[in-house]
Amino acid sequence: MAQKEYDTFILTELSQFPEDQEMEMIVRNLMPADRRYKYRSFYATAMISKSESKYPDRLWVRLGRGQLQEKPWSIKIIKEVNKFG
Amino acid sequence: MAYKFYKDNREFIEALKANNDLVTIEQEVDWDLEMGAIVRRVCEKKSASPYFKRIKDYPGFEAFGAPLSTYKRLAIAMGMNPDASVPEISNEYVKRTTGDPIKSILVDKKKAPCKENIWTGKDADLFKLPGPMVHDGDGGRYLATWHFVVSKDLDTEFVNWGMYRQMVFDEKTMVGPVLPFSDMGKMFYGKYVPKNKPMPFATVIGCDPLSGVAACAPSPIPEDEFTGMLMGAPVELVKCETNDLYVPAYAEIIIEGEVIPGIQIDEAPFGEYTGYRTSPREPRTVYRVTAITFRNNPIVTVSNMGVPTDEGQLLRSFSLGLEMRKLLESQGIPITGVYMLPESTHHLVVVGVRPAYSGIASQIANLVFGSKLSPWFTMVVVVDNETDIYNKDEVIHALCTKCHPIRGIRKYEQAPGTPLYPFADPEERKWSRGSQVLFDCTFPLSWPKSDLPIKVSFNNVYPKEVQEKVLKNWKSYGFKD
Repeated sequence: MAQKEYDTFILTELSQFPEDQEMEMIVRNLMPADRRYKYRSFYATAMISKSESKYPDRLWVRLGRGQLQEKPWSIKIIKEVNKFG
Repeated sequence: MAYKFYKDNREFIEALKANNDLVTIEQEVDWDLEMGAIVRRVCEKKSASPYFKRIKDYPGFEAFGAPLSTYKRLAIAMGMNPDASVPEISNEYVKRTTGDPIKSILVDKKKAPCKENIWTGKDADLFKLPGPMVHDGDGGRYLATWHFVVSKDLDTEFVNWGMYRQMVFDEKTMVGPVLPFSDMGKMFYGKYVPKNKPMPFATVIGCDPLSGVAACAPSPIPEDEFTGMLMGAPVELVKCETNDLYVPAYAEIIIEGEVIPGIQIDEAPFGEYTGYRTSPREPRTVYRVTAITFRNNPIVTVSNMGVPTDEGQLLRSFSLGLEMRKLLESQGIPITGVYMLPESTHHLVVVGVRPAYSGIASQIANLVFGSKLSPWFTMVVVVDNETDIYNKDEVIHALCTKCHPIRGIRKYEQAPGTPLYPFADPEERKWSRGSQVLFDCTFPLSWPKSDLPIKVSFNNVYPKEVQEKVLKNWKSYGFKD
């Protein structure tokens, strides 16, 4: 299956960001099948790693003012979380 | 009496075209940054408005950028001579908006172009609209950058039209900041949230130009009636499909829904009116969509906040300054005018005054900083009547020569602020705390007349007959200007 790409905004110190544990976060889809849905955000339960190859999909990281980090991380999305019932 | 006005965006686009102030772009542009980059460059170069005929992924949709980012466009929107000066436009605006408000009228749905297409239920999907990714690094696509949000008080008939930015989160959800001191903030957080009630809203995209001007204006008059005053004719409104709000019948796109209490979602960052991405990504107000209605071949309006000058900076500066003019005149202060520099991102207001008594600059600053609009004024520069408030060079000269670096400056601390100030520290942003300052550029009245510095300018230090001779012979001396 083709690798998917997402990004997320991280507001805490990157070096202290937890890896390899399930967490809830907001991610944006950068490669949807229908391009009109690019940047669609959603809450997800996911595992992430600072290694680019550990999990199946690529995760780009941005800081609080939108600064894109040079190297991508990787992500495994376990499920989308619907906050609105 | 109706003034010359444009009932919708389409007529306004034609007017800009007739005045050589429009570039029609036939080649396809990408909603993902390209369109935003074009509008940004237009703002920075003060170029003609771009009218995008083909948007990638969105056949049938068009877009109109930088609709009101110059005084020329504002003059055209008001039906005035496109070359009208800022004081002329200001005086006309004050004249029109000082009379009696003009009530809107309701029209039947069949006569409202904004009802030509109606999406409800699953069809009401925000990604079916070409919301642009305005700047690289923004928190999302901002469908609403030049628009207004209609909301209504829970207990009264008070209706507000205000420009509150909205980021698309998912198919049905938008999110954006609603500051607690804003009209909508007071209604939602002050009344709906304590009762855990959702607040109906309608976002109006692609309105006629004067409705946009009114939505930017900080007047106490309801914005639809204020628009009527600017037009000299009532605005035509039509009822929404899924709530009881009313929206301009000739608008391009209407997004209806509810503002939801009890939940917030991360919004931002976004390139803001100050020319920076300042306010942090943080949980903000959530809008859930119930319906989208739109005209055939709808035209999305795109503003691009950044370094000066965009329409937010220009129109907020314009109308904030003139509201202060009305306030100061109502108090009998002998002002000669008020002008807010658009380049100051509506942070610096210049007030011209006849210095009739001591302490007049402080009195002006106290009124400006004590007004409801004070968070938008961080600097007040008071100049005397020999300084042209519209001439930046003269204002800077007065600031640097007449304002004593210690006695001429008065600081105001613990003021209300916004999280958008680039100069504020993170704690100040978090709590919307501001600081303000007065620059008094008037010479003290206590100085003996013989000690007053004399301004050395062509108009001031030559006899009238010498000035006239020089002006008469200027070209024969060989000068071309």
